[in-house]
Amino acid sequence: MTEQRLQFQRQLADLELSALGGLDLVCEQLDRVIEALEHQDVELAQIVVADDDRLDGRYLEVHQGILSLLALQAPVAGDLRLVAALLHLIKHVERMGDQCVNVAKLIPLSGHEPPVQQEILSKTVQMGQFARAEVVQCKRSFAERDVQMAEDLLTRDVTVNRLNREIFRLAIEAGDDADVREWAMIMTLVARAFERIGDNAVDIGEQTAFVVTGLFREFSDASTAAARS
Amino acid sequence: MERTTPDAAAPDTRPGVRASAGLPKALPKLDKREQPAAAREAVFKLRDVRVTYGGVAAVEEVTFDLLENEITAFIGPSGCGKSTLIRCLNRMNDLVPSARVAGTVLYHDQDLYAGDVDPVQVRKRIGMVFQKPNPFPKSIYENIAFGPRVLGMKGDMDEIVEGALRKGALWDEVKDRLKTNAFGMSGGQQQRLCIARTMAVEPDVILMDEPCSALDPISTGAIEELMLDLKRNYSIVIVTHNMQQAARVSDRTAFFNVDKLEEGKRVGKLVEFAPTEKIFTKPDDIRTEEYVTGKFG
Amino acid sequence: MAVAESAITRKVVERASGGQRTRDLLFRLSLLLCLFIAVLFLGVLLVDVVIDGAGFLSPHFVTSYPSRLTPDTSGVRSALLGTLYLMVLCGLFIVPVGVAAAVYLEEYADPTRWYNRLVEVNIQNLASVPSVVYGILGLAFIVRGPVDVWGLGEGQPTLLAGALTLGLLVLPVVIIVSREAIRAVPPSIREGSLALGATKWQTLWKQVLPGSIAGIATGVILALSRAIGETAPLILVGAGAFQLFDPKVDGPFSAMPIQIFNNVTESKPIFQELAAAAILVLLILLLLMNSAAIYLRNRYETKW
Repeated sequence: MTEQRLQFQRQLADLELSALGGLDLVCEQLDRVIEALEHQDVELAQIVVADDDRLDGRYLEVHQGILSLLALQAPVAGDLRLVAALLHLIKHVERMGDQCVNVAKLIPLSGHEPPVQQEILSKTVQMGQFARAEVVQCKRSFAERDVQMAEDLLTRDVTVNRLNREIFRLAIEAGDDADVREWAMIMTLVARAFERIGDNAVDIGEQTAFVVTGLFREFSDASTAAARS
Repeated sequence: MERTTPDAAAPDTRPGVRASAGLPKALPKLDKREQPAAAREAVFKLRDVRVTYGGVAAVEEVTFDLLENEITAFIGPSGCGKSTLIRCLNRMNDLVPSARVAGTVLYHDQDLYAGDVDPVQVRKRIGMVFQKPNPFPKSIYENIAFGPRVLGMKGDMDEIVEGALRKGALWDEVKDRLKTNAFGMSGGQQQRLCIARTMAVEPDVILMDEPCSALDPISTGAIEELMLDLKRNYSIVIVTHNMQQAARVSDRTAFFNVDKLEEGKRVGKLVEFAPTEKIFTKPDDIRTEEYVTGKFG
Repeated sequence: MAVAESAITRKVVERASGGQRTRDLLFRLSLLLCLFIAVLFLGVLLVDVVIDGAGFLSPHFVTSYPSRLTPDTSGVRSALLGTLYLMVLCGLFIVPVGVAAAVYLEEYADPTRWYNRLVEVNIQNLASVPSVVYGILGLAFIVRGPVDVWGLGEGQPTLLAGALTLGLLVLPVVIIVSREAIRAVPPSIREGSLALGATKWQTLWKQVLPGSIAGIATGVILALSRAIGETAPLILVGAGAFQLFDPKVDGPFSAMPIQIFNNVTESKPIFQELAAAAILVLLILLLLMNSAAIYLRNRYETKW
């Protein structure tokens, strides 16, 4: 390989690390937001909102890197698929970050002493933790180009979707108190945000499969029945 | 709840989410975009072709079909035999005394190397353009007229010359100086002259051995455009070192690689032959992948 | 890769040292000296010839026959005509034979065959064989012996024999020069022609030979310039001097070098002057031929 090509490979590898590093940032944000949720920590929530700039910055950085590589190096075959996948991946990362911000913004809405229903809260926190696990798994599956691990994400996501529906049902039966109902509605919105993070992780899994196989397949095609259950 | 994917029609307006176009639900599968080529006839059918120079194999185990009205590119590292192979297609290897061609080369289902086949007729129907433009040291008119004259073609020579120059996208530039010496033209024009010269004898196939490697980018662009125009009526085979060029113009690409044998001998082999899009997005063979991404060669 | 800076390279341009410049100058002067010496001899010769012979130059000189008895009105007519006829016949012989041989060697001969290699090696040798040997060859095979020139001349020396002998002498030169000219046509032209469907013969006739014609013509003229001055072979083949008749193709003949030689060997000083004048005529002829060669080359040469 020529020196120039080696440099290109290094640039591509660095770009991948940078993009995957975004997932680490997402995990950080998720951790904070889950803790803020558990302890109704409004200040922590504000930090999450502010810190989203880092993720946005990461998005721009990777995006620019990709454009540069495309323009200057004309990647083909495997390199091209990787570049295309990174473009999608960083978008999903940015979305995940935005979902964290959504949750963070919802926390102060429930006030300083919200009427917490423990079941709903614990399920929501659990959802968040599962979503975080999905983020970690999708990162690993992409870095290691493990298609099976990527497909497994769907199974995990099923759990997250189930929790989402349960929280929704619990919220409907939250009771007559307007404050409680309000809080429960907010929790459903939080749950939805976590569910979206899970979806984005699955999408990243699809990109892993694309890089490896060259085929773009929606995972839900394979197990639509399972998802419905 | 079903897993939802943002669809293109409804922009996501939730707070904190940057407004952006949604991802399409699913991309069409890559392999479905290939149109079946059964409709196109094979111009050349090569079966197990092997070319040797003085007993030493230069390229071997070549088997594929080249289709009509397509541009097929031969790519591969130096010494992989792509130039050797393309010269088999119009029997130019006959000029090398030590060259032998084994295997079958069928042109429209006729054996090109059969005993009763006249190489002159072969070269009339299968024309060739070379790497370095090689106009004759005569006027532009005489350059074009040479082929039809030696082949005894009937017809008004002026018309034949004009027709060929038009096909070669050169007429407007040179119509007022047909009698001037061809050497006075620029490199790109000379190469187009060589292409026009080939077309004057009304071939069926045009072979091009690295036609743009001696030209500047603008001339290269002009010739590539000409190629794309010509493929409607001719079949074109191009050998190129420039992968971006192969990617830009060709419909199908054949990748040749160099195999190292014992005693330091090298021989070229056909590794993969597929639609160009496939070669450059998801080649089957790891060697193809490594070559197109520049990991070697 | 940083360019190493060193104290030596800091100066961008250095002046050559004094010693260096003196050596350069001395070298150039010594080259000029060598050239001067060579030119000097030529100059002395020319001046000498002009002084001696200019007096005799006139249209009369060129149109009258040479005479031992009346040297004052002697001319070079028979010798000049003989030389001119010799050149024409020689040319008619060497062009087809030489070019054909060159074409065979360049285009058709397989260089791995032993007989072709033998021919190749020997052409160079033949070009340097002394001309007197060609004279003997001509005498043995052309005038007499197996290749008796069609029984012409009935045992007498013939112009044709002289022309053929001279032809054989310069043939190797023609072959070599023609080969160079043919080789100068790039293979890409041949390939281009063949790729259009022309046969090898058509390619040769319509592309290669036309492209090399200037070189071949130049070569032929230079060969003839050499032949024009050859004396030894002509002596052996029976050229005469002081002939009082115009030469015939199948009869006795004279030539300028022979006439000059015979003039020189006469005792009276006037013959020296006649010889000098004849030399001038020959030189003028040579000059015209070489000028023609240069003109042809400059005007028609294809720059590949």
